[in-house]
Amino acid sequence: MLSRNLFKSIAAGTIVLGLGFSLAYAAADDQIKARQAEMKANGKAMGALVAIMKGEAPYDAATVKASLDAMAAADAAAGEAKAWDASSMEGATVETWAKPEIWAEGSDIGAKYQAWVDARATLAATTDEAGFKAAFPALGQACQSCHESFRRPKG
Amino acid sequence: MLGFTAFWLVSAPRPLPASAIPAHAGNIANGEILYTAGGCRNCHKSNAEQAGLDPDLPSGGFPLKTPIGVLYPPNLTPDAETGIGNWSDLDFVNAVQRGISKSGQHLIPAFPYTSYAAMPVEDVLDIKAYLMSLPPVSSPSREAGIPIAFLLRRGLGLWKFLGLDTAPWQPDSSQTATWNRGSYLVNGPGHCGECHTPRNLIMARDGSRFMMGGPHPEGQGKVPSLHGLVETGRYKDQKDLVLALQNGEVFGYENMSSGGMGQVQANMAKLPQADVEAIAEYLISLK
Repeated sequence: MLSRNLFKSIAAGTIVLGLGFSLAYAAADDQIKARQAEMKANGKAMGALVAIMKGEAPYDAATVKASLDAMAAADAAAGEAKAWDASSMEGATVETWAKPEIWAEGSDIGAKYQAWVDARATLAATTDEAGFKAAFPALGQACQSCHESFRRPKG
Repeated sequence: MLGFTAFWLVSAPRPLPASAIPAHAGNIANGEILYTAGGCRNCHKSNAEQAGLDPDLPSGGFPLKTPIGVLYPPNLTPDAETGIGNWSDLDFVNAVQRGISKSGQHLIPAFPYTSYAAMPVEDVLDIKAYLMSLPPVSSPSREAGIPIAFLLRRGLGLWKFLGLDTAPWQPDSSQTATWNRGSYLVNGPGHCGECHTPRNLIMARDGSRFMMGGPHPEGQGKVPSLHGLVETGRYKDQKDLVLALQNGEVFGYENMSSGGMGQVQANMAKLPQADVEAIAEYLISLK
């Protein structure tokens, strides 16, 4: 009888443990997916702004505003989803190109994030094409410098 | 014993003779372009632990992590004590094109002399002329953090004997002058194939898979193939690739920043417009 109860306990314990693990998996996977969704939204918004820079699309204040609003929304959604928490690297099953250096001692991810926030604000304050074109590179550089340090090559 | 003797003979450094150095007045402007295309400063970065160094000068000593250990690329400024101030033209050409140090040792091929060997000697002398025009910086070299470095260096001689291609770059007369300029910059000073061409069993670039991409040398991820850049939709056309090389991810061109490409792209941005166009013309011709 004792052994049967023991068996039951072990079985139950295993199920609970397993559930716990799969919840951890799900949490980290959701965080990574939220991060990737943020990047996808940023990329799309960037595309519209770059088209103006390259002269493929005319300067349009409404497009600029919509793109910056989309980035702000993506930023907020990622914050909500804890997309940038170190916990996202624990037990994840989906592939991520984020380097662990993001969360390492002495990482300057915070400063790099702030550069992006600031560049968005500066760009949002521009009112004409010349101002936009002068302010835009700082936004692109914010994407670039973070990816250079913190994203590993794909594949 | 016979085997050892054979190894010792085959692995001996084979420097170029003094007669290989032509009489040539160094062209500093050309040297600067080739220095930029070659990304020399990306590895010969200044030692972050030594205060007061100009980070734009290639005074060396910054750790370069490689699969075999940490290297500290040396000082390329014309300082007589710690840099190349006392190097003869022959010393410099032997280092850059044959991977042999001033003291006669084999250099670890993290230094891409395997590509630089394809350059005309005059171009290498122009790079030296440019380096000699820089302000001298006193920054002593640092020993590589590599176990059994002595034997490894000697073993490199064997590797060079088998895998170092010293054939000079050849133009293709069926192509335009700009295509040839691009081909030269990519395959000579630019040494793009050191990462974009995968390596064979003896770790030499595998010519049969030229620029086809492969595992990233830092261990994670892949280096993309440079074939079909337009056909696979990565770039619209030559103009688009020029913009990508000049602006990188600042203009939203993905994959121009990760895995070390960011430094390469920053160098491309400093090249003359005509050279970037030539590089793009050549690259998109790789089908």
